Amino acid sequence: MKLELHRLNVKSLKFGDKTGFADGVLTVNKSELLALISEDELLGKNLDVDLAIPGESVRVMPVKDVIEPRFKLEGKGQVFPGMISDVETVGEGKTLVLSGCAVLTAGKLVRFQEGIIDMSGPGADYTPYSKTCNVVLVLEPADPNMDKHDYEKACRTAGLKAAKYLAEACKDVKPEKIESYEFAKIRDAMNSYPELPKVGYLYMLQTQGLLHDTYLYGVDVKKILPTVISPLEVMDGAIVSGNCVSACDKNSTYSHQNNPVIADMLKRHGKDFNFVAVIVTNENVTLADKRRSSSYATKIAGMLGLDGLVITEEGFGNPDADLIMNCWKAERLGIKTALLTDEYAGQDGASQSLADSCPEGDACVTAGNANEVIILPPMQKVIGYAEEANVIAGGWNGSLAEDGTITVELQAITGATSELGYTKLGAYTL
Amino acid sequence: MKNFTLISNNNSLCDKVISREFINGSALDVLIHVRSLIHLGSILLTHPLCGNLRPNHQPFRSVIINRKNGLVDLESLTLIENAVHVYESCKLINIHELDELKRVDYAFIDYELMRESLEQYNLISRESSLKPAPLLLI
Repeated sequence: MKLELHRLNVKSLKFGDKTGFADGVLTVNKSELLALISEDELLGKNLDVDLAIPGESVRVMPVKDVIEPRFKLEGKGQVFPGMISDVETVGEGKTLVLSGCAVLTAGKLVRFQEGIIDMSGPGADYTPYSKTCNVVLVLEPADPNMDKHDYEKACRTAGLKAAKYLAEACKDVKPEKIESYEFAKIRDAMNSYPELPKVGYLYMLQTQGLLHDTYLYGVDVKKILPTVISPLEVMDGAIVSGNCVSACDKNSTYSHQNNPVIADMLKRHGKDFNFVAVIVTNENVTLADKRRSSSYATKIAGMLGLDGLVITEEGFGNPDADLIMNCWKAERLGIKTALLTDEYAGQDGASQSLADSCPEGDACVTAGNANEVIILPPMQKVIGYAEEANVIAGGWNGSLAEDGTITVELQAITGATSELGYTKLGAYTL
Repeated sequence: MKNFTLISNNNSLCDKVISREFINGSALDVLIHVRSLIHLGSILLTHPLCGNLRPNHQPFRSVIINRKNGLVDLESLTLIENAVHVYESCKLINIHELDELKRVDYAFIDYELMRESLEQYNLISRESSLKPAPLLLI
């Protein structure tokens, strides 16, 4: 399987008559984009599109999802298969990527949850999406009493359509950079690099219900048995987030498309280890589902004869149980594990970080403490609804001061403690 | 014998469920009651913690158990003890201090996250649903 990513580097955004890319600037025809998302009758009449550039005194909230504009130039299928495109398998051919650009979907859904993105100031350091040029869709439902599932789907779909639209409009522009990725057939992978350990990636996805769901080729992941996927499919948007909570450690669609665990494992493949497979699994509510999925996912790892498994969690609370089950079940099959998670250790950092643990979980990487409190100074412009600061997860009554200052836990900031490691803060081995 | 029961402080959810015990108290009160039942032999069927909301961000808690008397199930006991510990370390939201619209939305999301599990254990009919509060659009 071979996939080329054709990259255009977006350094700025502006509104204009024709959507397209030139000299680092993505021009957006606002009325055309608005017309596209307004096609959905479930969305209201007061939709808006706004732009947020890194360094500006702009706050976007509440953010639902972040999506990178991509469009398949060649190869089977189209981006976001099963969501806005046909269900054909993706991951091969050529895909155009508007690097440095993101679509944000913002709007009210329920009276808590969802996140903040500050484009400058101290909050900007905690979200990778302060460094992207953001096309923001401000959304509302056609009817305030609309079914939340329908409205959530309408918001999700609007973001995906906008991301595809922006990239498609640039399909004739010569790419500035071409990256080539290849992922071997399992048969060939098994015979390669006999001196290196065979390592897989166990990719846990939040699948608990409304606002806590993830989709694989359009299928609700809570309904699947763990399965094997190529990392190149993920780059083409095979995994889409329907997850809005908590903002800090939900995996946005953007972070799936740019999953840094996959990127690093591909880089180190053939050098430090033999990267053989990606296994996708879910995080359901019932203990029977947790036992079934953890046993089945680790069984696949065992059938593949893996020596090691990198496991990433999504979320906090009962998914900790899935993480720990995946860990000890793999270890007891003789597969070494490394876990990537984040912490909810209280505002003073003194509480237990995870809700579950096991002696086998002795190689664990943290993306930070989501309860850490941060003060976000007022911004000149707010895109979305600032009053939501009082009710989103990580905020509390009084979070929003009269002058616009917001005092919240890091968990209110989109992507602040990404358990895929897609963050701007971290530690590096020198 | 199978005796699937929902233990919850979400009154609106309890109204929809066939076999349930309503706890007039906090999320921690729910967990402590579940722990008592586990001491008597009940088995946890759903995880006692939320999907991705801290205890101080969701005042409602709902847990499904197989209610029975007998030997203590050690896995259930470990899970419930860990959950009680997590809730004891947090300042909880007082349901009675919430404004009505927020209370309704918290109850709605609690219901939504339990819905699949309740269906799995035949505790709720598919036609049954809980409504969120209407959005206030500007």
